[in-house]
Amino acid sequence: MVHWLFAVGILFVGLCLFAEALAGREVWHMRHWRKYLWPALTFVLGLFLWPVMAFFTNSAIHMYAHGSWADGLMLAGAAELGLVHGRLHSPLWRLTWPLAFVITGIAFIVHEQNPWLFARSAFLHHLIGWTFIVGALAPLALAFRPRSAAFQAAFAAVIVVVSIQLFADRDVAPIFGHLSPLAGQQHR
Amino acid sequence: MRRLILVALSALVFPAVASAHATLRSTTPSFRSELKQAPSVIRLQFDQQVKVLPGSIRVLNGVGKNFARPARANGTEVVAAVRHLKLGAYTVRWQAISADSHVVSGVWTFGVQVPAPAVENAYGAGGPTAKEHVVRWVWFLGLALTIGALGLRLIVLRGLRVPRPLERRIAVAAGIGALVTIHAGIVAFSLRAEDALQLPFGRFLYGDLSPMAKTRFGFAFVTMTLVFALVLALVYLSWLLDRVEPLVPALLLAVVFAGGLSLSGHDAVDPGSSWKTEIADWLHLSAASLWIGALATMALLLWTGAPDLRKAAFMRFSRLATVLIAVVLGAGVYLAIVRLPHVSDLWATGYGRVLLVKIGLVSFALLWGAFHHFVVAPALERADTGFLGRIGRSLAGESMVGMAVLLLAAILVDSRPPT
Repeated sequence: MVHWLFAVGILFVGLCLFAEALAGREVWHMRHWRKYLWPALTFVLGLFLWPVMAFFTNSAIHMYAHGSWADGLMLAGAAELGLVHGRLHSPLWRLTWPLAFVITGIAFIVHEQNPWLFARSAFLHHLIGWTFIVGALAPLALAFRPRSAAFQAAFAAVIVVVSIQLFADRDVAPIFGHLSPLAGQQHR
Repeated sequence: MRRLILVALSALVFPAVASAHATLRSTTPSFRSELKQAPSVIRLQFDQQVKVLPGSIRVLNGVGKNFARPARANGTEVVAAVRHLKLGAYTVRWQAISADSHVVSGVWTFGVQVPAPAVENAYGAGGPTAKEHVVRWVWFLGLALTIGALGLRLIVLRGLRVPRPLERRIAVAAGIGALVTIHAGIVAFSLRAEDALQLPFGRFLYGDLSPMAKTRFGFAFVTMTLVFALVLALVYLSWLLDRVEPLVPALLLAVVFAGGLSLSGHDAVDPGSSWKTEIADWLHLSAASLWIGALATMALLLWTGAPDLRKAAFMRFSRLATVLIAVVLGAGVYLAIVRLPHVSDLWATGYGRVLLVKIGLVSFALLWGAFHHFVVAPALERADTGFLGRIGRSLAGESMVGMAVLLLAAILVDSRPPT
């Protein structure tokens, strides 16, 4: 449930970014509230990850992973809000995004003990982790070329892809099935 | 169109559920239960199939003797028969391989005709270490910085024209304090759980911490994490919008929930504890945090960032500090009387000796504060820039003594007073 809720939030952020890339920043910002939409949502998603960290204590590694994602999302959302509100000026604050992506990617990979093809969950954890790490190149390029629609579209694409992967991670439909008998019976 | 979007969002939000690695759903006997009759089996119920390892379930008495027979897995359940248990407290340590091959582990306690000890006192746990004292000290410092910075802005500088750069620096300081509070809490909780679980770090990462989350310490950790995340968001909002209003609920939340640190310490469970000692501990900690934090923020931020406000802020803080010190001393003396029934406990016990050093440091800080109050304050009217600069350094010195007091407070909170 929690995975899906966050997947919905991240999908919404990605779609907003796509819309902004397609329409252009000037058009997107014509409505005052719209420029705050996805940065604020990112910040709130980060804030809501703290209850996930605090209540899901069935393993220490998940606590640390959720905590690091909360930090990353809040930092990136806060920097973006600061930029659109005019409190921050240097576009280098957008480097918080690649930083958050790399931290998130490492947390995904580290908290998965099993190899790629062990089970669908393991496969997707590795895939999400590497999507974040490789995808960090898009916001990194965007920090130096903030007006590039191509980089913004790439940034949006990474976020949309990650949200789909998050949906798939907890989807019981046999997309990958259980790839190893070690994983036991498929369960709901 | 709007209806379509709502339907699509609803479909996305409500999923079919599948799990990651195995999670313990229930146990027999349950966490910290006090049983009238000794159990014949120990039963663990997981949310998915698991496999057993050698020693998957161990039932240990106070000297570490194991009473469990070999465990067997049956689907999502792991069961081990237990030899006859006599009256006493027992620790259950378990481990199992979940379907995704993660080795999950955990610990809990129960008692046969006696109350079960808290999980942090399970057999094998060594108790707080120097590392835990330092982490708790950092936790205190984070709390003091948050409460102090917010208190300086909302109480000391109330009604004054505060320059925007100083306003923002105070918000940044409060935000850093909240971040430190959250992260020091995570480390403190992990250290306490690591001690209870008694696992090497690699295995600890997959250890079940949920019994720890059900202790007073765990409850305090969860509550403080959530509250200080909210405080962080409010402080950020204040910084972003250049508005002071969000700081008011931030200060109230920080002060009210500072009590979590008291409730997670010895004071809440030791003999002689009552709601009165809990309130006294909360007052002691909150007032000390405001005093030390506001002093440090004033010395580091206001003294350099707003020279025009130095005199007014100093005079106002001086009045506030008088009240805070009265609260700190009143609550501290009451707690010392409750915790140390005999005066000789001050030098005859380890707890008393730490308290004695703390009293010495507090007295030193009080003398320093009295110098500021009775000598410096009257001289401020005719003070020149050089004199004011020296006062800034003096305030920083006094706040450093206060921080040292917090280190000793951290050691005392982790220690057990003589009974």
